[in-house]
Amino acid sequence: MFKPKSECQKVKGMLSPYIDHQLTSSEQGVVEAHLERCQACQRELESLQAVVNLVHRVTMVSPPRSFAIAEAVPKWRAVPVAVFSAATAVAVLFLAFFFVSDALNLFASEVPVGVEERLGETGLLAEPSPDMAGGASDVAEAGYETVENWPFWQLEVAFSVLVVILGAMTLIWWLKRRKVMERG
Amino acid sequence: MEEDDLILRSKEGDLDAFNRLVEKYQRQVYNLALRMLGKAPAAEDATQEALLSAFKGIGGFRGGNFRAWLLRITANACRDQMRFWRRRPVVSLDALVIEPEGDAQSPEDYALRRELGDEIAKALAALPADQRLAVILYDIEGLSYEEIALVMTSSLGTVRSRLSRGRARLRLYLEPRMELLP
Repeated sequence: MFKPKSECQKVKGMLSPYIDHQLTSSEQGVVEAHLERCQACQRELESLQAVVNLVHRVTMVSPPRSFAIAEAVPKWRAVPVAVFSAATAVAVLFLAFFFVSDALNLFASEVPVGVEERLGETGLLAEPSPDMAGGASDVAEAGYETVENWPFWQLEVAFSVLVVILGAMTLIWWLKRRKVMERG
Repeated sequence: MEEDDLILRSKEGDLDAFNRLVEKYQRQVYNLALRMLGKAPAAEDATQEALLSAFKGIGGFRGGNFRAWLLRITANACRDQMRFWRRRPVVSLDALVIEPEGDAQSPEDYALRRELGDEIAKALAALPADQRLAVILYDIEGLSYEEIALVMTSSLGTVRSRLSRGRARLRLYLEPRMELLP
């Protein structure tokens, strides 16, 4: 159930800006009138004031060194990082494409079972042999198999290696540039 | 040379002019970073990052309060550092040691000031980042509410409430220790 704030709670919320003289004149009037008749809030104010005074005693320290920039970071140092990171991103996209295509058989074709073996034996299917006359019924019996048209396995390995190399180059150039900037 | 001229020349790529601005503000930038992060190496990194970002981005500064703009960049650099350190092993609060400064301190005075600094650093570290930022900017760096609103890109009411809640939490932490502090 919603419980309205007591006057003490409201005033306690205004003590910090009251210390800083950041209240409007009407808010200040409310706080001062309340403080005159509420000892608990007076103690709260004294305690908060003591903490604020304590924090005000913290001194600023001198920087341990100059942070002046010795020279502008050469722009050419930014180029390899941009180039390598872009190349890495492109390679990652290709790699993802190959994995997805491979997993979903996007570029595979369905061929009758045994056709590959026959192609391998004869080289061509140009002249239908007498055996092939009954081919349709064989296929109907044996069904189809999926044959990949793209060498996905090789592509995946090649692009994985490429991603690792490009990623490493990006990291090396980024670290080099960071070192130069820190020296600056 | 006037600050406006230095800013104008910095926008044209004049590094010497920008370094004059660095010289003027690096103490405030470094102290903000140090109190926000509590660790000198992280504060140095954040200060360097902030000043480099400021030099690169000064073309986007559209006039107004340069100090508030620079401290806003510093606060962002501190946030990046906090994210970086969150991924690293937790640093003990004992590491939040900030060496006190002052002329001709006696050993007792030095020890007391160091103790005060340690306790306040620990109390600040326990605050949420936005409340810590408000307390540091007002109570330590001496900015006005209006300037803090510019740094935080928030309203005066938000500044007032963050400062109020931050101080209330500091009080909870520091009050039991007040008698022991110098």
